[in-house]
Amino acid sequence: MTKREATAKALTNKSCRQMTDLVFDYLNDKLTPSVKRDFEQHLSICPDCVSFLKTYKRTVTTTRSIQAERLPPKVRENILAFLRKRIRRIGAYLTFLATYFTA
Amino acid sequence: MLAYKNEAERSYSSEKLYGTSIAPMSRRTSSTAIMSRPRPRTGQDETFLIERLKAGDQDAFETIFNLYSPKLYGVAQRILGEVADTEEVIQDVFWTVYRKAKMFRGHSQFSTWLYRLTVNAALGKIRRSKKNREVEYEEFLPKFQNDGHHSVRPVVDWSDTLDEQYAKQEIQQLLANALNQLKPIDKSVVVLSDLEGMSDKEIAATLSLTVSAVKTRLHRARLFLRGKLAVQLGHSAV
Repeated sequence: MTKREATAKALTNKSCRQMTDLVFDYLNDKLTPSVKRDFEQHLSICPDCVSFLKTYKRTVTTTRSIQAERLPPKVRENILAFLRKRIRRIGAYLTFLATYFTA
Repeated sequence: MLAYKNEAERSYSSEKLYGTSIAPMSRRTSSTAIMSRPRPRTGQDETFLIERLKAGDQDAFETIFNLYSPKLYGVAQRILGEVADTEEVIQDVFWTVYRKAKMFRGHSQFSTWLYRLTVNAALGKIRRSKKNREVEYEEFLPKFQNDGHHSVRPVVDWSDTLDEQYAKQEIQQLLANALNQLKPIDKSVVVLSDLEGMSDKEIAATLSLTVSAVKTRLHRARLFLRGKLAVQLGHSAV
């Protein structure tokens, strides 16, 4: 097989469908070097897969940038007050049970 | 579905070939994620705190509450998408922590146990409220011709135009809306991975899934989110 034929074969080693399945591990740098080489060779001839990869990657980076709601101090105080009350109540109940059964 | 890296083989530099924009991205590593999570100063401190908690020590409980409630609130809020429900879920989670601390045997990290309680409480809340607005993923996933090529060509690269068309806050809102349409378990995977920076292994332990199931769910959810963004920008999802 000539070098040119070998290159052409390598370029067709992956279809766009297979590329989509491999994107996840490609971005995590988890592909074997040979699969990664095929993947990148496909990218070099397929602008559709380059666009797909860029938009997939942009989706991930945008998702990562979403800010969570902060726990408002008032809510934090409310939750803590609720929990303290419950703990007190269960404490009182256990004390009652202990007194009842030892009496 | 995927092939894994053989460390012995030589690495291949994608950045040289295609620039940084499509090169593998550094995922927030497990250690980075752990560092960003609340922790007592040392493992010993945490072990001591947990022992005191198991003995019913209220100060230890409140220390744990103060350490973990902001982070767990963020996780629950992003899974639920509703602030009002979140308060209730966090209340329930910490009440469970107080009552069932003795059931924590230390087989997993304490934080993993807390995350598991939080995600389960949030998922339970969604199930009970029946507010979940799931959509069919299929419509927003990539499609291919018989020969394996993309069914709609050319695939438009909207990665750079996103910022031109929308303000940062609008983009986040678009994505938050799309996130709310994911299946709750998939949304939990995305939240723990892309927003909390947990490793696939940690997520698997938290959600009682296999690592492979975590990867599959995460990839599919990302494909769906990508499709939703594409449609929002006026392009084909596929």
